Amino acid sequence: MKYLNFINEQIRSTIEKNDNLVLFGQNISAGSCLGGLTKNLKVNENSKIINSTNSENSLCGFGFGMMMNNVSSVFFMKQLDFLLLGIDHLVNTYNIIRSVKKDLKSSFTIMPIIVDNGFQGPQSSFNNFGDICSIARIQGYVISTKFEAKEIISKKLFSPGFRIIGLSQRLFKEEIMDLEPVYSNDNLSLIQYKQGKDVTIVCFNFSLKHGLELSEECEKEEISSSLFNVTSVTPISWDKILLDAKKTNNLVIIDDSKSENLSCDNLASYIAQNDVINTTIVKKVIDENWLGANSDQMEIDMANIIKKIRN
Amino acid sequence: MNISDNDVLENILEVRIAQLLINEEYKEGKFKIPIHLGFGHESISVAVSRIMQNDDKLILTHRNAAYNLARVRKLKPVLNEYLLKSEGMNGGKIGSMNLLNSELGVIYSSSILGNNFGVAVGVAMAERILDKSNITIILAGDGAIEEGSFHESLLMLKSLELSSLVIIENNEWSMSTRISERRHNIDLEKFSASMDVKYCKLSGNDPIEYIEKLKELRTESIEKKTPILIEVNVSTLGEWILKNDENPNGKQINYHAGPTPGVNLEDGNFIIKNENIDPVYVIKKNNDIDIQNVGEAILRKFRDEMV
Repeated sequence: MKYLNFINEQIRSTIEKNDNLVLFGQNISAGSCLGGLTKNLKVNENSKIINSTNSENSLCGFGFGMMMNNVSSVFFMKQLDFLLLGIDHLVNTYNIIRSVKKDLKSSFTIMPIIVDNGFQGPQSSFNNFGDICSIARIQGYVISTKFEAKEIISKKLFSPGFRIIGLSQRLFKEEIMDLEPVYSNDNLSLIQYKQGKDVTIVCFNFSLKHGLELSEECEKEEISSSLFNVTSVTPISWDKILLDAKKTNNLVIIDDSKSENLSCDNLASYIAQNDVINTTIVKKVIDENWLGANSDQMEIDMANIIKKIRN
Repeated sequence: MNISDNDVLENILEVRIAQLLINEEYKEGKFKIPIHLGFGHESISVAVSRIMQNDDKLILTHRNAAYNLARVRKLKPVLNEYLLKSEGMNGGKIGSMNLLNSELGVIYSSSILGNNFGVAVGVAMAERILDKSNITIILAGDGAIEEGSFHESLLMLKSLELSSLVIIENNEWSMSTRISERRHNIDLEKFSASMDVKYCKLSGNDPIEYIEKLKELRTESIEKKTPILIEVNVSTLGEWILKNDENPNGKQINYHAGPTPGVNLEDGNFIIKNENIDPVYVIKKNNDIDIQNVGEAILRKFRDEMV
């Protein structure tokens, strides 16, 4: 099944199990329904679907206001760039709520599509999900696999409190990765899909596909790999990864976001402080044409990484 | 004047005297936090408090002191919050600009200009989803209507048919600039008409008149499922004269925040200005009330609370 269809299915099935909801966003039940993401949404009688005004700032406040007043909502957003208009609420409104409302019974989730396929030009290409989340230590999830889609959407979409769940536009038309996890932490922020003994591969943002390809290339070279996906950018315990990397003594970190302060830097600095491990960091090359209408795909030199692992 | 009117007038004096006491504490340097006092805002704050019923919600700004005092009718919980004591209204954790009192309907206050509009739309929407027939009241100043969120949120309130009173306190000032010094005039009546939102103007600081009008508007808003925009003229009192080397002849400073040397409790006079811009002057002028005696009783009550 395609990534887009599977996520739509998970959203619809989670919504059907909940009452007193407000689902809102621009054209979420009109036209293409955000490219199909919000197609065929159905809510119970006491819930509401709103094709909202183009008022991103107030729409963010809207979600927080409902959450404070015991109604859960989801703000579906066509592209992450629009969320820049709501940053005041992500920081200031959210700070008030979490400092004084300790007994929240409702939720507010923003689900933006991260336009990471490129060719958009200088605008509409804000592929910096980690930056948005770190601005106020917001719980932010990215979804890459079937397991993540099922677990994160069913357990987090209406869990009391606030979070952002980011989706990759680049993956929309691709088959969704179907991997069985060997480990998942309680908060679903760290998922391990493979256990190996020669190299530890850790993926950030939407780079799991690259990590999986690297793992498969390694297997051809008889190098066995552990494969982790970090789905959340809020501080998480790196101990599980450190333990694995100490055994393999080889760590490859991959992050395909465009941020100057990558989420993976946190892990890299933690590893550097704790042990000397042969570490390779794979990230996007940001050249002088980065503002142009270019592909947003990350290029990976598999052969060179494998060579480093062997050394 | 009837008995409940007397209580309204006492409520006005409570808000004034509580602020006078806070100002005196402030002058003595007892607060680490910034406080935006609302001398001159007593009539509208008491009127708003008086029309609130059961589950009505009130969304405030950083200048929320008068409203919170009008709701709670005590000084100690507010003062303790300002002193960051755990017995404070919000456990001494959030200071003055975001002061809340959820039990009395004050569920959100924001120190960010225009931030509370969008939140208020959400609060009002939740009331609709939960099938409650009450109202959400939103306060903001004339500075906040310069923010885009004002336009966005009024449009949302109207489009979503949400019962709400949007009250704009027009005190002519945003920090140190008058409206005329920073922007073209905004005709709120025409602005609201463009969205088919009813507009109403309040002025004169008569709390009884304000209550009657706001009650009517509350009922209309609930019945018609619509926002109503209310512009109220207020004067934030407490201006003072700054004399220093740069201003040897004295410079008039408009009150924005902090302690005001322009208002002194030891004067024994609860009226700050003998003009209609002062709600306490207005209630004395329009009603048979012994401001001095009633005020001194309130002062004693609050001082006992503070011991």
